[in-house]
Amino acid sequence: MKEILVWAELRDGRLTGVALEIMKKALDLATLSGGRVSAVAIGRECRESAAELVAHGAERVFVVEDARLDLYQADAFTKILCRLIGEIRPGIVLMGGTSVGADLAPAVAARLGTGLTAHCTDLRIEAIEGLDQLVMVVPGWRGNMMVKIVCPEKRPVMATIRPGVMERGRPEPSREGEIVAVSPDIDEKDFRARTLERVRESEESALEQAKIIVSGGFGFYEAGGVALLDQLARALGAVTAGSRPACDAGWVPESRMIGQSGRTVSPDLFISIGASGAPHYTTGFAKSKLIVAIDKNPKAPVFDIADFGVAGDLKEIIPALVEELEAKE
Amino acid sequence: MFEFTKEQEMIRAMVREFADTELAPKALELDRKGEFPYELVKKIGALGIIGVASPREYGGSKAGHLPAVIAVEEIARVYPSLAFILEVTQAPLYMLENYGTPEQKQTWLPPIIRGEKIAAVAATEPTGGSDLATLNTTAVADGDGYVLNGRKVYITNGSVGDIVLVLAKTGERASILALEKGTPGFIVSRRQDLMGFKSGDVCELGFSNCRIPKKNVIGKEGGGQAVAMATFTVSRAAVGAVGLGIARGAFEIALKYAKERMLYGKPIAGLQAIQFMLVDMDTEIDAARWLIYHPAACLDRGMLPRDIGKLSARAKYIGGEVAASVTMKAMQVLGGYGVSPEYHLARLLADAVEIFPATGTPQIMKIIQALEIVK
Amino acid sequence: MPLNILVCIKQVPDPEQFDRITLDPATGSINRAGIPPVTNPVDRHAVEEALRIREASGGTVAVLTMGPPQARKCLEDALAMGADRGVLLCDMAFAGADTLATAAVLAAGIRSAGDFDLVLCGNESVDGATGQVPAQLAEALGWPRVTYARKIEIAKEAATALVEREIEEGFLRVEVRLPAVIAVVKRINRYRLPTIFGILEAGKKEIIEVGCAACECAGLVAEAMGLAGSPTRVAGVFQSHRKRHVEMIGGEPKEAARGLIRKLKEMDAL
Repeated sequence: MKEILVWAELRDGRLTGVALEIMKKALDLATLSGGRVSAVAIGRECRESAAELVAHGAERVFVVEDARLDLYQADAFTKILCRLIGEIRPGIVLMGGTSVGADLAPAVAARLGTGLTAHCTDLRIEAIEGLDQLVMVVPGWRGNMMVKIVCPEKRPVMATIRPGVMERGRPEPSREGEIVAVSPDIDEKDFRARTLERVRESEESALEQAKIIVSGGFGFYEAGGVALLDQLARALGAVTAGSRPACDAGWVPESRMIGQSGRTVSPDLFISIGASGAPHYTTGFAKSKLIVAIDKNPKAPVFDIADFGVAGDLKEIIPALVEELEAKE
Repeated sequence: MFEFTKEQEMIRAMVREFADTELAPKALELDRKGEFPYELVKKIGALGIIGVASPREYGGSKAGHLPAVIAVEEIARVYPSLAFILEVTQAPLYMLENYGTPEQKQTWLPPIIRGEKIAAVAATEPTGGSDLATLNTTAVADGDGYVLNGRKVYITNGSVGDIVLVLAKTGERASILALEKGTPGFIVSRRQDLMGFKSGDVCELGFSNCRIPKKNVIGKEGGGQAVAMATFTVSRAAVGAVGLGIARGAFEIALKYAKERMLYGKPIAGLQAIQFMLVDMDTEIDAARWLIYHPAACLDRGMLPRDIGKLSARAKYIGGEVAASVTMKAMQVLGGYGVSPEYHLARLLADAVEIFPATGTPQIMKIIQALEIVK
Repeated sequence: MPLNILVCIKQVPDPEQFDRITLDPATGSINRAGIPPVTNPVDRHAVEEALRIREASGGTVAVLTMGPPQARKCLEDALAMGADRGVLLCDMAFAGADTLATAAVLAAGIRSAGDFDLVLCGNESVDGATGQVPAQLAEALGWPRVTYARKIEIAKEAATALVEREIEEGFLRVEVRLPAVIAVVKRINRYRLPTIFGILEAGKKEIIEVGCAACECAGLVAEAMGLAGSPTRVAGVFQSHRKRHVEMIGGEPKEAARGLIRKLKEMDAL
């Protein structure tokens, strides 16, 4: 595991967040195993990103620059990465589990004939059967199980990392590293699938896609109603929803009603405010990763299905939350 | 032990998925508004559900009577109103398929099977439902047709029906005549409000010198009573399936609630008082299920309506009983949430009682069975 | 131009009942008994897309799955939707495969089942959820790929497909030469339910079985199949702690708010 290679994905010519998250993890692993971290950046113009990667701990950054590689080109990226891995022979290759990384990594692994583990939430070095091995932890069965995966023989060991689960390191401008320009060496044959253009869309805040949902029940109205709910949602970057009584009263649109006769959601974080927690309502979000309940009645059944609870006057707690969140920004 | 065929299991899975995805989100609202679900009728037509037992040459799939019962059951689980509509439509289909002329079949069956046209049977009169011998509606021969006069009540699909098969006296005996929408003198007197079946269409009809051409007689002139008896015998099994579906829907709601509702930090499903009710519900459903499938399975094996009189009356009877009993128990499990019309359960109970009068009261069902047992 | 399309589908335990999956602490094995198998949800969208392409430009639709004998059921369901024939890749030698070995066997199965212009897949399965198989299948076939497809237009002469490929901030417009592997996401279409007629007709359609020997004929060595051909291993499974025990956060409102936010940050939820 002497060398760890990180594919640092660029978007709009800038490093993606997950690239920096992986850098930190790669650095930790390299420290543990006595190896070093290299990175590769592919795009139209990568020099600035390369410097940033050095500041985040890359001892070498391979830079593959070409105007044809401005957008993700599946064939060409696969070829470039495979060639580079073949040349530098890293023990581990880490890539971001973005929609692009999830396309590129398996193709590279297949062409190299090696193992790949998808969407890891943790990487550790553990002794298994007497050997130090890279253990890749992935959530399975929709998060009901955690699975440990190893790749005992084939090299490099490859993994994609779920964006947002690992901590980002601090850049240290004093770090030094080598920037290596690599010729792309691609031609027409490497564009069997050709990305013609990228179209941006303002992501509509659909309930099912929301990472955080703030849902109001009947009780939140007396605490300030819709405006307060919206404020909290804004501070959290959340989408608003409501229980049936809140929808019947017209505070939340019907399309955002949570519960048996409404929508079922399972966001990363569900915050229920001022709803006592009738089963018809709670069934609509019971499978959320994390549930926070806030209600004035400390015995409200909603607390039975929550991970964290706050009981008290909503008129005070919600503004305090908003204030606290905005202060941290 | 009895087993369903692979195709029957696939039909059940398909109808259940349709019910869960297309019906469950709309059922409460449609019932609340009391709107006839034309679009959903077209959808079940397109899926082949209306013509499940009908001949292929007219657009049916001839899967059989048991698949029809399965489809009615699965739809009733989430939207009994549509299940009633589907069940009621099986009666005119059965009449046309078994007694209609090739021309009548070609004209009416395909659009009914596709869900584009709606059909009804009009038998019950203000003076009595099940006693076909005391018919007051008359069809008097006149030139190349008949002149129809009389009144009918509790006619399902009465105002939305494009074709109504009317039981009327032609001389001493009864005949079935196809009355088409728009015929002068054909009046929908009023829509009858019921406790349940809220998006259904149940009407009082009046006929005032309606002219019906001779070619619209279904079966032999004077053979109407026999046609009606056979048809009702067949459709009773499907009415029982509405009850079975309602009972299953109510049980599912109660079970889910019992597992989620917490009392002193534990789900109430852990309490014996609740468990006993759940076990009773599940047992009643299981017992009713086989009685309800039985007559349809007999028809699919080639038995005739006259062979299954007792079985189909029993299926219909038990369907009403299980629907009422299980929905009542489910209400006790749910407490306050059970009686609120905002939720599905109260609607299921209201629909459950609609089974009692359909195709004859429980007492009539017992009389039919007694005729065979005591004879 | 008519296209011969093959759709790869997979049978998975009903994802609605994943919370019933338990771990045997003694053996470390997953217990999923009693959870009914269903077709992987997004795969039904892939079948639907194939049927729509066939309806627009003619051709045939074959469905293929790798799995135990009972996986035949998901092929039958796809045939009821309207697919023309089924291919069941079934052999003990295929068992225990990771995505690389799975892709290798799928590719061999596809080669042995006929000549195809287009292979469609669901973007990922709900059980493994790696999303790796489509791209690895394309590699094994030596074909180009497009994953995360939310719209597919086949060019008139059927030499290329124009695909809208989802990315985080919108989509990429990709032109891909056929034959190709395209993996679809759910929003590409609303899939149809089988009609009752379709269900009855499905029983008359052909399902061929392809085993280890046929895959070897298609050029795949036995060492590349199943567990033997899998570079990765499961080293252990542990239950994630999802049972909820509420932790009440007390104090004055400000204090409680601060405490809650700290907790959420610790849990990586903010």
